[in-house]
Amino acid sequence: MSQSLLHDELVLLDCSAKDSEELLTKLAAILKEQGYVKDSYTQAIIDREKVFPTGLNTPGAKVVMPHTDPVHVNEAAILVAKLSQPVLFKEMGNSGKSVEANLVFMLAVTDPKGHLATLSKLMSIFSNGEKLLGVYNSKTKTELIQQLDEILV
Amino acid sequence: MMKKIFVACGSGVATSQTVASKIGTMCEDEGLDVSVEAVDIKSLESIIDQCDIYVSIVSSGANNWDIPTISGIPFLTGMGMEEEFEKLKQFIAQ
Repeated sequence: MSQSLLHDELVLLDCSAKDSEELLTKLAAILKEQGYVKDSYTQAIIDREKVFPTGLNTPGAKVVMPHTDPVHVNEAAILVAKLSQPVLFKEMGNSGKSVEANLVFMLAVTDPKGHLATLSKLMSIFSNGEKLLGVYNSKTKTELIQQLDEILV
Repeated sequence: MMKKIFVACGSGVATSQTVASKIGTMCEDEGLDVSVEAVDIKSLESIIDQCDIYVSIVSSGANNWDIPTISGIPFLTGMGMEEEFEKLKQFIAQ
């Protein structure tokens, strides 16, 4: 299952954007070009991030994991982007704080229960600063996917 | 009596499922008699009367339920997870 969620063309090693909305638009466009998501996905991701922010004050590299309802998705996938400069996101929950995100996991989810195992494993590294830094410091797409595959298998 | 724990996030898609599964495993390891379910915040209102403990992952405005509430975020990041789990265990024991 994890094999099918991570793809070379959905890994960005050096991504930059001036703010969160520009970043989300850019990343959603890549998922859209590859046919993983519908046209409505971009706006849905932006809107959802406003109401239910997904920044996490994780150890190591700070993570943001934008996602939205399955109705906007064609095929499940995880897009991974390393940010060359941190981008400010709101923290998940009610802290009202911001997170300077370094690493984006944009999720396209079709079947939450079916992907639970993969998503749980992905999120299990959010508490592991060493692994997050390992992913963040990957020099090539292959290395990054390998690191994540080890976790997601 | 078995305590019902509901975990709610924006769409019930990713976060709440993961947190629910994490909390479920932790409770099981401690031999606690609970059921843990992930729901989306919109459906929470209609089932809130069946809920003993609420695990919140959304902003404060939606948290005004008169039931024991803990935060679900620590179960994602690991930061402050032990404390939050202790709180949960106290609610379960009540």
